[in-house]
Amino acid sequence: MPFAAAMRVLIVDDQLTSRLLIRGGLQDLGISDIEMAADGEQAFKIMMGKPAHLVISDFNMPKMDGIAFLRAIRAYEPTKKSAFILLTGRGDKELIDRAKQYGANNIIAKPFTIPVLKAQIEAIVGKLK
Amino acid sequence: MDAMAAIKQTFFQECEEQLAELEIGLLAIQDGDVNPETVNAVFRAVHSIKGGAGAFSLDDLVHFAHVFETAMDHLRAGRLAPSHEVLKTMLRAMDVLADFVRAARDGGCVDAERSQTLAKELRALDPDGSGAGSEMDDEEIAFEPVLMDQSMFDDELEAAAAPPVRLFTIRFRPKATLYAKANETALLLREIGLLGEMAIACDASALPLLSELDPEGGYLSWTIELLTTQDEAAIREVFEFVEWDCDLDIESDAASAAPDDIDLAALIQKMQATVEAELSALSPPPTRVDPLAEASRKDADASADPGVIDLAKARQKKSEQAVGEHLGPKPDQGAAGGASQPTIRVDLDRVDRLINLVGELVINQAMLAQRVMEAGLARASGVATGLDELEQLTREIQDSVMAIRAQPVKSVFQRMPRLVREVAAMTGKLVRLVTEGENTEVDKTVIERLADPLTHMIRNAIDHGLESPEARAAAGKPEEGLVHLSALHRSGRIVIEVSDDGAGINRARVKEIAASKGLIAADASLSDEEIDNLIFLPGFSTAPSISDISGRGVGMDVVRRSIQALGGRISITSRPGRGSTFTMSLPLTLAVLDGMVVTVAGQTLVVPLTAIVETLQPKIADVHGFGGGARVIAIREHFTPLIDVGRELDYRGENADPLACVALLVESEGGVRSALLVDAILGQRQVVIKSLEANYRHVPGIAAATILGDGRVALILDVDAVVASSRADSAAFEQSLATAG
Repeated sequence: MPFAAAMRVLIVDDQLTSRLLIRGGLQDLGISDIEMAADGEQAFKIMMGKPAHLVISDFNMPKMDGIAFLRAIRAYEPTKKSAFILLTGRGDKELIDRAKQYGANNIIAKPFTIPVLKAQIEAIVGKLK
Repeated sequence: MDAMAAIKQTFFQECEEQLAELEIGLLAIQDGDVNPETVNAVFRAVHSIKGGAGAFSLDDLVHFAHVFETAMDHLRAGRLAPSHEVLKTMLRAMDVLADFVRAARDGGCVDAERSQTLAKELRALDPDGSGAGSEMDDEEIAFEPVLMDQSMFDDELEAAAAPPVRLFTIRFRPKATLYAKANETALLLREIGLLGEMAIACDASALPLLSELDPEGGYLSWTIELLTTQDEAAIREVFEFVEWDCDLDIESDAASAAPDDIDLAALIQKMQATVEAELSALSPPPTRVDPLAEASRKDADASADPGVIDLAKARQKKSEQAVGEHLGPKPDQGAAGGASQPTIRVDLDRVDRLINLVGELVINQAMLAQRVMEAGLARASGVATGLDELEQLTREIQDSVMAIRAQPVKSVFQRMPRLVREVAAMTGKLVRLVTEGENTEVDKTVIERLADPLTHMIRNAIDHGLESPEARAAAGKPEEGLVHLSALHRSGRIVIEVSDDGAGINRARVKEIAASKGLIAADASLSDEEIDNLIFLPGFSTAPSISDISGRGVGMDVVRRSIQALGGRISITSRPGRGSTFTMSLPLTLAVLDGMVVTVAGQTLVVPLTAIVETLQPKIADVHGFGGGARVIAIREHFTPLIDVGRELDYRGENADPLACVALLVESEGGVRSALLVDAILGQRQVVIKSLEANYRHVPGIAAATILGDGRVALILDVDAVVASSRADSAAFEQSLATAG
């Protein structure tokens, strides 16, 4: 069972505001080991160095988008098992299908509240302690 | 500030960046840029603003951004062609979006009618014509959460529990004394073996012939390779009691325990290529004419049937291009967007503190130089040359620190296209704005205070400078007028030019107006240049009717005053029928000032150079006295108030003898000219401005202080205040001047 304090989370979003908001939410949940990246490429380099248990990634980013990043993670052995939450703006059916196809663990629609973030994280990692 | 407020501030900062990106993107698309990444970047900008706004419950902003985003999505998906009309709407929508952002930030409100019209126009861009789907869809996301593979945590725990296995190479060479102390090598080796898996090689090469062998000597040595999770200390412990009686050498492979270096770039490149190729293979064949496929067709083999679009090739090209974009360094990126440049956000206070310290350093260095000079040291002495180097370094440090506060004028220039669109629409003129030198850097404060005068000048150029399309056509000019905005560095200052290719200044009319308003004598003979500069006089306005655009109660005199307040100068050149050019020259920083160092009643003062028009030696015939000690001086037949700075600042009780003094003709607020009487001019120099309020208190007539090379404090004169107070002192002055004139 995962402890919030032991969780390592990587936030990937090209918007600083968004990264800061998510980080604030995670800190409220008792998660403190948090890394941030502004695009998929940078994020993937971080994952290769030290895989995070949970990745929360935006979809629409320059350079490498969220789905391409997800596929890269799933294709690389040491990061294969990391949980992946994709953030998206609206109910884009096709995007949801692709996220499912490439092994996303969950999708959260932006903007979201801290309780939603917590619920969606717990839905895939189990109850946080 | 709590955390949320700080993030909100960041959000607004980012909004500005995204709006700028949006504008660049839209303009690029307007100019025919068909790169899907450009369209996507534009979409992303609106999308990000919406997302952030949602987090802060800025509902109006979210709502408008949503409608905008929907229209943008049609464009992105190719359902909507980027026609001129569509882009015009989008550009206007961008302006409204910017209004919403600013309203959310500053608490204002947005022109409801305008935003509703725009929202309606955006909805009308829906190719289905229904406008449906542009209402907020709170559609639930149909996604079943997938439990993560919890074994990741177990794997990690296991890895943490099992310390890494390391390979040690131990070279053990017992001396004879080891055996003499009744130690047994076999026992030692066996004990090592308990630490892990080992392989032993015995080196007997040192063993002599039997006849020469000392039975109590030590001839054998061992090399042990040990695979163990234990550390070196555990191995040394085995040899603890024999370490003085043997040569022991332990090496570990710690370095090679790190994972193999991975060629990251190559790996990512490979993955991306795969991903892109798969993605493009997944996407359905284009049903519309894909601009990329079109481009690729043109490049395709000449042998290929020209009538057939080779989809496979197009796809391949698309994927190559996409990969290239991801990885290839864009040569223009560093200069234009700077997106790839690593940057940090620094509190402005910290930078200012640094600048202050550097100011102190400059002063100290100047003082030191003066002391050394006074001590009479030879130029070539070690101290003097060391001092030269210090001076050089100080200057470099000062430049570098100033560069931290420097920002490209782009941030101001970027606001101008919108302004031009608005003014053009209001005046019914066709205008093209060309900007140049956006990356020219200048102090942040200068940039902030540049926006208003620049806005006014651009408005003026369109409203007064450019002719209507019909008039232009009649004059044989293209109907579209040109406004050119440029910035460049020239001799330590920034020069900004606003020029138009309009009719130029109507000199006869300007002179007529100036005369009718009593600004000049009706029969004054003025040079062309002098006439052109009349427009800077307060109360001057050539517009026959006060238009909504330029006539907002401010004239070019306000522009000039704000430029002067920045320590700048502005001038105009004009050619009839060809247009006018306004040239502003501003200091690169507000921390230093060009000043004239003067003495008044034994005090040293600094007068800002920008205020001084000319210096002159008064002649007795030109000075006329009035009651109350007020005096005027005739300068080229104009009576100008003569102000004794020494008396004004209470340095002396009596008026100084003008013949023994120097007069500085200065121009203060509102273009008022006065002559300031000072005892002598010591010279010109650049001084570091020190706030008097922060260090002492406000002193009337004094703007700030500085420290001169000899360490003395010199006050910087506030010309406006001195002139104003002098006028107040002699209330009867104007009247007596009127009767005298």
